[in-house]
Amino acid sequence: MNEFFVRLSKIDRRYIFLLVAVSVIVPLLFPFHYPTRVTRHTQAVFDIVDQIPPVSNPILISFEYGPSTMPECHPMAYAILRHAFSRRVRVIGITLSADATGLGEQALSDVAREYGREYGKDYVYLGYKPGVSAVMLSIGEDIKKTFPRDFYGQPTSGIPMLTEVHNYSQIPLVIPLTGSQTATSWLIYAGARYHARVADGVTAVMASELYAFLQTKQLSGLLAGLKGAAEYERLVQQAGYTKNEGKATRGMDALSTMHLVIITFIILGNIGFFLSRRSAKKGERP
Amino acid sequence: MIPMDTLWTWIAAFLTLAIFSFLYKDNPFYKFAEHLFVGVSAAYTLVIVYYNSFVPNLIVPLFREHNYWFIIPGLLGLLFFARFIPNLGYLILFPIAFTIGGYAGLSIGPGLQARLLKQLQGSMLHPADFADPGLLINKLIVLIGILGTMLYFYFSKEHKGVLKVATNIGIWFIMVGFGAAFGYTVMARASLLIGRVQFLLTDWLHLIR
Repeated sequence: MNEFFVRLSKIDRRYIFLLVAVSVIVPLLFPFHYPTRVTRHTQAVFDIVDQIPPVSNPILISFEYGPSTMPECHPMAYAILRHAFSRRVRVIGITLSADATGLGEQALSDVAREYGREYGKDYVYLGYKPGVSAVMLSIGEDIKKTFPRDFYGQPTSGIPMLTEVHNYSQIPLVIPLTGSQTATSWLIYAGARYHARVADGVTAVMASELYAFLQTKQLSGLLAGLKGAAEYERLVQQAGYTKNEGKATRGMDALSTMHLVIITFIILGNIGFFLSRRSAKKGERP
Repeated sequence: MIPMDTLWTWIAAFLTLAIFSFLYKDNPFYKFAEHLFVGVSAAYTLVIVYYNSFVPNLIVPLFREHNYWFIIPGLLGLLFFARFIPNLGYLILFPIAFTIGGYAGLSIGPGLQARLLKQLQGSMLHPADFADPGLLINKLIVLIGILGTMLYFYFSKEHKGVLKVATNIGIWFIMVGFGAAFGYTVMARASLLIGRVQFLLTDWLHLIR
């Protein structure tokens, strides 16, 4: 028995990579629709967007992810935008990360086309602005002064949708979609300083750090990683706002299978570790 | 004539496979894709920052709107390059001092409020919590976790006796925190792989719709 585990611990790690690849490819080709339970934090974000009256004050989505975190955050952007545009909830898009400039524009224009929403009336994209915390604070004073021109070079003072929007007071929800520390910066600068309602959509790496802010209600909701995106997609689909199954939902089978493979290896690795430690204590050769 | 979309999809697929080839072993395809990524990322960021920040925040107000106040931040920004001139290297201290001072001033107040005061408030027991047993249990766990973890980082007294018990409880909470963070990290990395495989199977090979 000992020998089996010792041999397993010396296995060429490329076999493990191969097994992980198979555990991802097979469920994507032959999905078995593993059930996804919606957490209350995702439900909270959905409920807030669902309660915003159509054609009223806009929500603000800050796209802050690049290609490296795109598989987690991009489906979130599409799901939230589908929800908003299907209900005619207006959207202001901005980005605080240069990488995300094109991705934000792509998500907004794709979903706007899908639902026939008009630029300037239903949504606006203000593009990239460096400075992170300075930008967050500046929006609290005047969003049009922070972004004098939109992504396409038009003066923001002439955009109809922004006529009545001055600062966070007219923005019912701020949703940063990010894989970085800006998730907390929004809480500090927009939340604590200007009392804006903030709900984060973050990569899974960031999620565990943000639960503390959920407990103190500084964060109104949280979409955590691919699973958070899949949960939101499911809510949007269940409510009848879209018929399409989202990309995150399709990825959940692969995620669950891959997790099972990794858990199996962690258990086997630990058994091997304890057995070899016991052998070492007895003075046996492992 | 190959459509442009198809061409870009094939280029993206080739680069994805070139990066994955590192899992087998280091090779020239991986090196090529890696260097290309670094170069393209740097150039992309430079162009985006120039057109979205430098032009609207300095060039337009200064040269088109003739707002000459913008000379001051422009000059302050230029001083960052002073470090390349040996005799004038010290001038970089001015923009650094301005940046640090400004950010510290902007951050300390709201940072204390969000990270400390509100979090402390959330960890305190309120008379209303006693009405809901579930909430009370949750809040007690949070309180024990905070006290145990904080005591673990208290180094002015040797950890023995009652203090050792408390710090051991702290260690358990820290370990649970690490475990949760590790689990989420695995999920994040798995999601990245899934994203790329979805691209290969959907956009490139058209094996799934």
